[in-house]
Amino acid sequence: MAFQPSKSKKNLSKESGTLNMNSMMDMMTIILLFLLKSFSTEGALVTPSEQLRLPESIQGEKPKKELSVSIAKEVIMVNDIVVATKADIKEDNLMIEPLRQRLAEYARKEVELQNTVGKEFTHIVNIQGDEQIHFDVLFKVMFTCSKSDFYKMRLLTIKSGA
Amino acid sequence: MAYKPSLRRKSDELEMELDIRPVMNLMVVLIPLLIASAEWVRLGSIEINVPPSKDAGIGSDESQAQAEEREKEKRLGLSIAITDLGITIASPGAILSGAENPEGPTVPISADGEYDYKLMKEKLIEIKKAIQGKGFRDENRALITASADIAYQVIIRVMDELQIYETDEAILPLFPEVNFSKII
Repeated sequence: MAFQPSKSKKNLSKESGTLNMNSMMDMMTIILLFLLKSFSTEGALVTPSEQLRLPESIQGEKPKKELSVSIAKEVIMVNDIVVATKADIKEDNLMIEPLRQRLAEYARKEVELQNTVGKEFTHIVNIQGDEQIHFDVLFKVMFTCSKSDFYKMRLLTIKSGA
Repeated sequence: MAYKPSLRRKSDELEMELDIRPVMNLMVVLIPLLIASAEWVRLGSIEINVPPSKDAGIGSDESQAQAEEREKEKRLGLSIAITDLGITIASPGAILSGAENPEGPTVPISADGEYDYKLMKEKLIEIKKAIQGKGFRDENRALITASADIAYQVIIRVMDELQIYETDEAILPLFPEVNFSKII
């Protein structure tokens, strides 16, 4: 036989309680502040992909957003637009012609901006190379950059913990 | 005369809690948003300043006297060549030969195909200590050349090793100014 429900407990008033959220609010505020501080408004500098894995390095300053030349495994891009493929890299010529033309275009625009609105032409170019590209490709790209008025080069890398 | 406060007001003070639910809602939305947009990968950028090319027009009109003066300056001209056999350290005057094989590279590749960055750094520190304070104008400069099929990661790694060295007292620059050239 089942027990009879207790008659005294039936009339107990239900315990009412409120969740104390003060400490949680504190925590959230701290996290929020921290995240806001590390928030960057510059936007993503690189789009990582299978074709473009940056090499690791222990040195280097924080990069700024500049004109970017990306050397992926198969193609070369300027500001994420493909300008040259592997076939454009000639064995006996240091200059990569399609890249030079595109860079010259950008240089012309920059000079125009400098003359009209006074935005300084920094001559800086960010080079993002895949970690497996060969030295001759890198060298040719750097040569082309320096010949096209972008002679301040920055090699982008991923900072490793060491 | 001021009125006497009413004695009838005897109600308890109203107990009220701050309604923080809207704030919580905001936080719950904002925190995932900021986490999603946070930079998880720390990027670095290595600076390489190549002098502007001759036909770019800037800096090309160097006068004869200046050129002569430049000739007289003491230059080290340290170069580091990376090949698939190893790393060779050289200057215009001499090539640092390897310990075992005088014909081979200064720092031969190890048996498992890895470059011996540690040995290379030791050799470079030796050179740096020997030339320091002797008035070489390019005592911080090194020239990296490599054969065509050397991977980018290897070059970056060599450049990493070129940056600094540690003595007991301080951390000093090794050869942080890097230039590139090509074996022709």
